[in-house]
Amino acid sequence: MARVGVFICHCGENIARTVDCARVAEYAATLPGVAHAVDYRYMCSDPGQRLIETAIREHGLTGVVVASCSPHMHEVTFRRTVARAGLNPFLCEMANIREQCSWVHEDREAATAKACELVRLMVEKVKWNTALEPIHVPVTRKALVIGGGIAGIQAALDIANGGREVILVEKGPSIGGHMAQLSETFPTLDCSQCIMTPRMVEVKNHPNITLYTYAEVEKVDGYIGNFAVTIRKKARCVDEALCTGCGECQSKCPQGKLKTSVIPNEFDLGLSRRPAIYVPFPQAVPNVPVIDKEHCRYFQDGKCGVCQKVCPAKAVDFTQTDQVVTEQVGAIVVATGYDVMSSGEYGEYGGGRYPDVIDGLQFERLLSASGPTGGEVKRPSDGKVPETVVFIACAGSRDRSHGVPYCSKICCMYTAKHAMLYKHKVHHGQAYVFYMDIRAGGKNYDEFVRRAIEEEGAVYLRGRVSRLYQKDGQLIVKGADTLSGQPVEIAADLVVLATAIQARPGSDALAQMLKVPYDGYGFLSEAHPKLRPVETNSAGVYLAGACQAPKDIPETVAQASAAASKVLGLFSMEQMEREPTVSVVNERTCIGCFDCERVCPFGAIEHREIRDRRGNLLKVVSHVNEGVCAGCGACATTCRSGSIELRGYTDEQVFAQIAAVGV
Amino acid sequence: MMSDTFEPKIVAFVCNWCTYTGADLAGTSRMQYPANVRIIKLPCTGRISPLFIMKALEQGADGVLVSGCHPGDCHYTAGNYHARRKYTIFREMLHFLGVEPERLFFSWVSAAEGRKWADLVAEVTDTVRRLGPRRSAWGEPVEGIAAPRLSANPVPFEAPAGTFAAQAEAMREKAKALLAGGEVGTVIGYEQGTLPGTARPAFVSTPEEVDRLVWNEHCHQNLAVYAARKPAKPGKVALVVKPCDERSLVGLLQENRLAREDVVLIGMACHGVQSEGALAPRCAACQTRTPALADPVIGEATPPTATADPRLEQIARIEQMAPAERWNFWQGHFSRCLKCYACRAACSLCTCERCLAEKAQPRWIPAPPDGAGNLSWHAVRAWHLAGRCVDCGACSAACPADIPLYLLNLKLAQVVKDAFDYEAGRDPAAAPPLTTYREDDAQEFIR
Ligand SMILES: Cc1cc2nc3c(=O)[nH]c(=O)nc-3n(C[C@H](O)[C@H](O)[C@H](O)COP(=O)(O)OP(=O)(O)OC[C@H]3O[C@@H](n4cnc5c(N)ncnc54)[C@H](O)[C@@H]3O)c2cc1C
Ligand code: SF4
Ligand code: SF4
Repeated sequence: MARVGVFICHCGENIARTVDCARVAEYAATLPGVAHAVDYRYMCSDPGQRLIETAIREHGLTGVVVASCSPHMHEVTFRRTVARAGLNPFLCEMANIREQCSWVHEDREAATAKACELVRLMVEKVKWNTALEPIHVPVTRKALVIGGGIAGIQAALDIANGGREVILVEKGPSIGGHMAQLSETFPTLDCSQCIMTPRMVEVKNHPNITLYTYAEVEKVDGYIGNFAVTIRKKARCVDEALCTGCGECQSKCPQGKLKTSVIPNEFDLGLSRRPAIYVPFPQAVPNVPVIDKEHCRYFQDGKCGVCQKVCPAKAVDFTQTDQVVTEQVGAIVVATGYDVMSSGEYGEYGGGRYPDVIDGLQFERLLSASGPTGGEVKRPSDGKVPETVVFIACAGSRDRSHGVPYCSKICCMYTAKHAMLYKHKVHHGQAYVFYMDIRAGGKNYDEFVRRAIEEEGAVYLRGRVSRLYQKDGQLIVKGADTLSGQPVEIAADLVVLATAIQARPGSDALAQMLKVPYDGYGFLSEAHPKLRPVETNSAGVYLAGACQAPKDIPETVAQASAAASKVLGLFSMEQMEREPTVSVVNERTCIGCFDCERVCPFGAIEHREIRDRRGNLLKVVSHVNEGVCAGCGACATTCRSGSIELRGYTDEQVFAQIAAVGV
Repeated sequence: MMSDTFEPKIVAFVCNWCTYTGADLAGTSRMQYPANVRIIKLPCTGRISPLFIMKALEQGADGVLVSGCHPGDCHYTAGNYHARRKYTIFREMLHFLGVEPERLFFSWVSAAEGRKWADLVAEVTDTVRRLGPRRSAWGEPVEGIAAPRLSANPVPFEAPAGTFAAQAEAMREKAKALLAGGEVGTVIGYEQGTLPGTARPAFVSTPEEVDRLVWNEHCHQNLAVYAARKPAKPGKVALVVKPCDERSLVGLLQENRLAREDVVLIGMACHGVQSEGALAPRCAACQTRTPALADPVIGEATPPTATADPRLEQIARIEQMAPAERWNFWQGHFSRCLKCYACRAACSLCTCERCLAEKAQPRWIPAPPDGAGNLSWHAVRAWHLAGRCVDCGACSAACPADIPLYLLNLKLAQVVKDAFDYEAGRDPAAAPPLTTYREDDAQEFIR
């Protein structure tokens, strides 16, 4: 038999002014199962709390209802109170007779009657409450960072400097990402390599960081605090331990001969060629080459092997195979970045057909001192220094018909940078920029764009390019200046398209593996656009950088540090404590339709095999991972057989309240 | 002082994060509103089962309000989107059953919308107060209102001569081959029933027995009901299926009750089946005449003769009734229910091992076959088949009390089609409509 104690608070005059608290207590005492009911001036005060504690002991209470303010105000307080008296905190409920009664009703009769009913509802509910124990989930205090661009580098360093171990997995042969390809960076024009290289080296040397380059995450099992990740380290065919990075192999590889090489250099976006054994760029970390088997003569027809012969460290090993390693981690930061839509992919404006129509990243390489032209701006077709350059912004962005509808956010800024840097290199040159709007929100950003226009003489034309064709070795760009209303025609030597920023191909597959939602374009979704920008709905998985949306470096770094601080926060505990108000499956009645799995926003539903003693599979049922469940209850509502209950909000508890309204 | 006017009891189911907090804000801002609403707090609208609404009506609530976070603001990201889909259907179902739509309210109230909450409660209370008390208890007819009846015009059945016989021959041949080759252990088909002009399910496990199998216009049963059950004989099962039966298999595939390779399907191109001496109404305009999943498809289908489904007119007539008439129409039918659960046994999609109807703790459906028990049973049955029922007609055919269950099923199928552009039993890879959502799902009914 239940022995419920009801404690009615006056909240000074706040409740007592409109609710006759003594009468509510009197009424409560008459309810079946109520062993004790009192009213008191301030239940949350020390004497008030002591009153509850004493009553629990003296009356052997099995449940408590505190009728006072909103549970959002004092539920924690009163749960602690009852716990001190030895009662499970989840056997305490609150009836909100202040915010939802005394403060919103003036009629004392009506308010008192309602307060009585609210108490009755909670008394009926609490009779069905059960003792719940907090869920403890152990935490492996080691993080996995996927992607070694500036986002991944920053996150890895922050976590490592916070004293925790990090595994950084980069798909390519070197870390660095797109930032390593950039020349100078807005809005300060510092050289990208100069600020980037020290960070890359720090990653390499950090005692807390294990770096896997040329590697990919193949499988992720487990949940927050307890992930098991499988990583495939692709065969480099060069022993990382032996290689000294002397570069002898690269210079001798016959596939890399300047005149004859056909292998496009990815780092230069095809603007140069590279050998079959290569380091993507001089500052690469690690400075260890990889063999591109598709183009290596040894792998293609068994002849050659020059690199092996010339290597003084005997590091080249053609027999190397992929290695698969498994690592236990407690948190995952996804920092897989973005891709630009190539000018060929966009198709409009002659991209992919005319060699002198290039994209923004290619132009970065032309500007870069370590680029294919040594930092001199020379156009791809004939190496001529372009005297007129047309930049076209929003090439593919904000373009529903040919590209993507969203704004790529960074192009306005880098286009202004391009116009400026071009002017710095080709003093007599003229830059024209076709744009739709200039979006330069950010500290010193608008000033930067204005400098490009006012000081560096870039001509900004508001309007879209209608036609672009080749004529006499030049590119004729036709468009309209919508501000003056005049048609314009420019004979350009080079055209640079600010093509759209896109999610990496395969980001959807990665997202599915991590159970992170993603939008229609493949960008990964944060848990809440405002309040939880670096968390995801997959507990323990965080986002950093352009994999979430187009971003510039400052924003990327800020988000990476935020993700790292979330990870460090999680790692500050040996065990995570989670609210026990999670769902639980009745395995006997579950039929394994897994509709619950489809509606669970957190991927908390697992499949559990039920076997007989001989090991024969009887059925597969749903199982809620308590470490992941957020307690929303969507599964319980969806299950037709009534096989899932959300603890703390069970059907019984709700029914008891509904029935109590009708009395 | 309490006035003498009717003071309705209104149950409000609200989510913890937005509406409950919004209601708190109305309190801290001392906004005044009527004292008729009793809040029941749940974590999320995703947890607010539509069946709670039913339960509140069953327990005598005069009005029900459901409120949660605005789309995009759900604390659990998607709970309100899932809930919105459920309410869309459930609400239409209650209307169709004759519950006055003015007694049900759905809204999004954010944590900042104290004003909206106060105004909403005032409006809800006022509306329900003006409506007056419910005109009858849950499952009881409204007094003084006749229970209208519907009658349908039978469509004569004309099967093209010879088609059934030729198909039957080919089907038996296939069945023999499957059994003889050991590919299956059992073939489930039809055989002549005890009464002339009937057919019943037949289970054959040797080639010799195959000659018992028949195929004709009386083969109306949906044999897919046996698909997810363990066969008595070892080996796979082959099922003789009509195109509509096959659609229920799609549902079973979607819900992991079955894997496609577990069954062999002998698909029968369809000419419609007979019911009570005439063409079964559901067949009149049925366009799905050729099986889509089956391993062999036997015969050529006959195109439908009618352009419109005659049952749609019945639905339209029910919709034209006043709520109280509609209510009594259904109470009239449900009052005959014996709670024999023949409808459930005949349904190939009712695959729960323990039906909610049998769950004693808590009791979702009052056990006795009385007004409340019957109405709740039929509401839950229809609700659980919303977005899943493939209109095979098995439940209505099985009902010894002739309750037109198909009307309720078909109505919900229409709602699902209109609201979510989804038809059950078409695509095994599709997510069932109540387990998914679109951010832009319609929501005119939510204020
Ligand atoms: C033309 C151009 C000019 C720009 N100029 C500027 C500028 O001047 N100033 C500025 O602030 N910003 C600039 N930006 C933006 C800047 O490039 C980005 O903000 C920044 O690079 C984002 O970093 P990231 O680490 O998120 O992504 P990325 O740089 O794309 O790095 C992602 C990394 O993850 C790796 N990866 C991808 N998938 C996987 C996987 N599955 N497993 C393992 N590793 C994976 C990739 O190989 C890569 O190394 C410019 C961008 C462009 C296109
Ligand atoms: S919805 Fe219910 S029956 Fe289906 S798998 Fe989940 S718990 Fe089991
Ligand atoms: S309560 Fe919500 S989070 Fe937990 S398992 Fe169910 S649907 Fe998933």
